[in-house]
Amino acid sequence: MACVNPVPKLYRSVIEDVIEGVRDLFAEEGIEEQVLKVLKQLWETKVLQSKATEDFFRNSTHSPMFTLQLPNSLHQTLQSSTASLVIPAGRPLASFTTAELGASNSSAGFTLPGYPIHVPAGVTLQTASGHLYKVSVPIMVTQTSGRASILHPVQQVFQQLGQPSMIQTCVPRLNPCSLQATAEKSQRLETVPQQPPILHSGLVHRKHFENATSDILVPSGNEREIMSEALLSQLESSQYISVPGVMFPPQVSQTGSPVEPVLSVSAGVTQNLNGGPLSTGRPGAQHQHMTDTQLHVLKNRMFGCDSLKQPRNTEETSSLPVSEKESSSQMDLSNQVTDDDINEIIQIDGTGDTSSNDEIGSTRDVDENEFLGIVEAGDLKVLEEEADSISNEDSTANSSDNEDPQIDVVEEDPLNSGDDVSEQDVPDLFDTDNVIVCQYDKIHRSKNKWKFYLKDGVMCFGGRDYVFAKAIGDAEW
Amino acid sequence: MAYQLYRNTTLGNSLQESLDELIQSQQITPQLALQVLLQFDKAINSALAQRVRNRVNFRGSLNTYRFCDNVWTFVLNDVEFREVTELIKVDKVKIVACDGKTSSPVDSISRNHSSP
Repeated sequence: MACVNPVPKLYRSVIEDVIEGVRDLFAEEGIEEQVLKVLKQLWETKVLQSKATEDFFRNSTHSPMFTLQLPNSLHQTLQSSTASLVIPAGRPLASFTTAELGASNSSAGFTLPGYPIHVPAGVTLQTASGHLYKVSVPIMVTQTSGRASILHPVQQVFQQLGQPSMIQTCVPRLNPCSLQATAEKSQRLETVPQQPPILHSGLVHRKHFENATSDILVPSGNEREIMSEALLSQLESSQYISVPGVMFPPQVSQTGSPVEPVLSVSAGVTQNLNGGPLSTGRPGAQHQHMTDTQLHVLKNRMFGCDSLKQPRNTEETSSLPVSEKESSSQMDLSNQVTDDDINEIIQIDGTGDTSSNDEIGSTRDVDENEFLGIVEAGDLKVLEEEADSISNEDSTANSSDNEDPQIDVVEEDPLNSGDDVSEQDVPDLFDTDNVIVCQYDKIHRSKNKWKFYLKDGVMCFGGRDYVFAKAIGDAEW
Repeated sequence: MAYQLYRNTTLGNSLQESLDELIQSQQITPQLALQVLLQFDKAINSALAQRVRNRVNFRGSLNTYRFCDNVWTFVLNDVEFREVTELIKVDKVKIVACDGKTSSPVDSISRNHSSP
């Protein structure tokens, strides 16, 4: 069980130490305590979002409103209850196949219907973030005035499917936003008339969502409405959602604050949440539960999260076109080579792939016939190995070296091909996601056998963090 | 002075990002941010030294090694990290290690860079 992960505690203690340590510094500078709080919140949010720690807030002092006691084997046949799931026709995303819900990871996407939906126990709901919730107790999701609410059940069990075996043991992790909202929320439970929570169901299209917000309203048997905001990490990490009274519906505001920021805040901002399949109800719809204070807090978080998210999304979107471009350029080059093969001597760089080849190629045909075989083989091999660098180099070479003699370049390509491999090694070699930052006690080498004696290290593998007091390793060079 | 080595970790980077945001919104000065980072260096160094107790073993093949300014940088391939509880395999890992013997290294790298 990964429940005894020392990393979250350690990080928490470091954060606390640092904040306490700089408190005086802030005071000396005349900076408000609020700024320090903001710093702490930003820091914690980022660490939370980084998936470096699975259950960062496992030891949070905020206790969930409901205790999750999800039975492992909750695979009731949903077919029988299909009829009770009223998903109005014409609604988008009405792909709710209850039959599939028996199996894990099945997703049900539906928008907010115009009228109540009875969700029987055992239904697995997938939120917009892609996290799956299994409802153990029948709930009713209604929508009034554009909002959905879940009525009924005394005890709501929402389990994120992932590692069912760990359900009962792990404490769910909550976002600080939600925690605050939870506290506030619980106070209002009695006084609130049935407020519609929004059950976000949608399909997650991007796996690198780090947090997602799912708003599920779980009223207790006293007709209290409990809105839980579950902040989830990615599907891979086993997170279990408690059902606190935090509601974070898009319709947050009394003050009319926009929906998207609210969503993005609690979600840790994902693109889909902002504009995705979520039909979250009308933005700006009033939610009487949220206090102004809550909103401000949430807004702050939103700004923090938003700024964090924006570059990430742009990075992600920009990375895709680049990779596509590279692959297309590779294809273009090989196509051009084929054409050149037929008519002219292959030119990898220089004017090899432009129409200006006609002038040069014809003269070179006679002179370079003997090189055809070598050039072709070499060129093809080079193309296979270094399509990226060559295409980039060639494109620039084409434009600038049109008039230069091509003979030298062609001959050098096979000779230089070996060098190109090592060129790529150096910049990319040290660029990796898996990093260990530590101190060394002793580094020993015998012939090509290396021994490492390391200490006090922080490891980051694919985003996940580990620490060690001592590490001993062997490697052969 | 403690190693600034740990600033390039999840915890350190998130702190730096948060500080940058505050600087951009002009809520704190860059000088104050630097002080915070120094405080972070102290805190993380002492936390790792005192609060962490586990051991890890690993084995792999060494791709490159570099020793400069008393800092070792290795790149290993196909490495297995073994802890009592779990086994982690990665195909490539970079290890940056500062000298664990000296206690007040400042940051030797920046010192060398700044010296004429």
